[in-house]
Amino acid sequence: MCVTRAGKVVSTSRGSARVEFFDGRALDDVDVSVVDAKKGAFVEVFGNLALGVLSPAEAKRRKQAWAEVAKAVEASR
Amino acid sequence: MKSDGVLFHAKHAFMPNSLGYCGPDKKGQIQRDLEGNRSDDELIMTLQKFEAAYPFLKLIARSAGRQVFDYSVPEAYWIGNRLLDLVPASDFYSFSHHEIKGRDPKKVREVFRHLDGTAPPHHTFYVMSTYATAVVPDGLNVRNEAKRKIAEVVDNCRISWGTVREVGKDELKVEVRRVSLDDGGLSLGRPAVRRVGYNPEVRPFGAVRAGDVVSIHWNYACDVLTPRQAKNIVRYTDADIRLVNRLMKSEESRKR
Repeated sequence: MCVTRAGKVVSTSRGSARVEFFDGRALDDVDVSVVDAKKGAFVEVFGNLALGVLSPAEAKRRKQAWAEVAKAVEASR
Repeated sequence: MKSDGVLFHAKHAFMPNSLGYCGPDKKGQIQRDLEGNRSDDELIMTLQKFEAAYPFLKLIARSAGRQVFDYSVPEAYWIGNRLLDLVPASDFYSFSHHEIKGRDPKKVREVFRHLDGTAPPHHTFYVMSTYATAVVPDGLNVRNEAKRKIAEVVDNCRISWGTVREVGKDELKVEVRRVSLDDGGLSLGRPAVRRVGYNPEVRPFGAVRAGDVVSIHWNYACDVLTPRQAKNIVRYTDADIRLVNRLMKSEESRKR
């Protein structure tokens, strides 16, 4: 299933972007046209579509939350 | 049977994993195991690394008193069955805060507040509610092109179904009802034929024939559904759409 992932736009080309996610992974073909995200923006991505632009503060909070939950999930496995 | 549950789960998780949207980078291994009809420990360990799907299975299994890979558990999650009704709203609420990566706790609270604890731990509901609570500019008032893209991603990401009309070498022509998005919210469109990929090496697709109903994820046929499953996926999807439209309407009125 798809999870909502937050990450940073590191490059864009004709409505498509490379996004580096807070979990360390990246996607090259994220459609950012719905939210019109530019290079450097933090975005919320679902599947291959960016559904929202996050403020830097919200992005920071998401990054921390992701790390904490990942640790908890790893511990419970 | 546990091995059937593992394979059923893997069939539905395979395509988003191979596209890089979730789970570890193991598409080759999952494909080999599906083609060999093998549900060994290595496949189970891979499936346990999916960030959202596996925690959902654990939640449903815990509430129903079943093993995580008991066939009925992934079936509840991907297709829908009565096990979903056994998950207490309070457990799903707590789970959504603590066991699912990436979701904004404020949005989780909104979902549960607006739906009075009726949110089901069903994959399609998760997909549609994620869109409904996302930071899409202007909510339902997004422009038509954005609506089309959003509907397409929701349709690809949910588990849909279709009746096989023609069997090709590695494609099926199936009659489906795709998700559409308009000012009234999400709905299913009129039946239309589309092509989806499938793997004839994966059981039971070697024997798939016109008239079968298949489950579909990211334009890929996952499994052939039984008549009971075909009925359930319609029923649970309709319920998910009703709930999500309610959620979107409350989101809209909150923004006004």
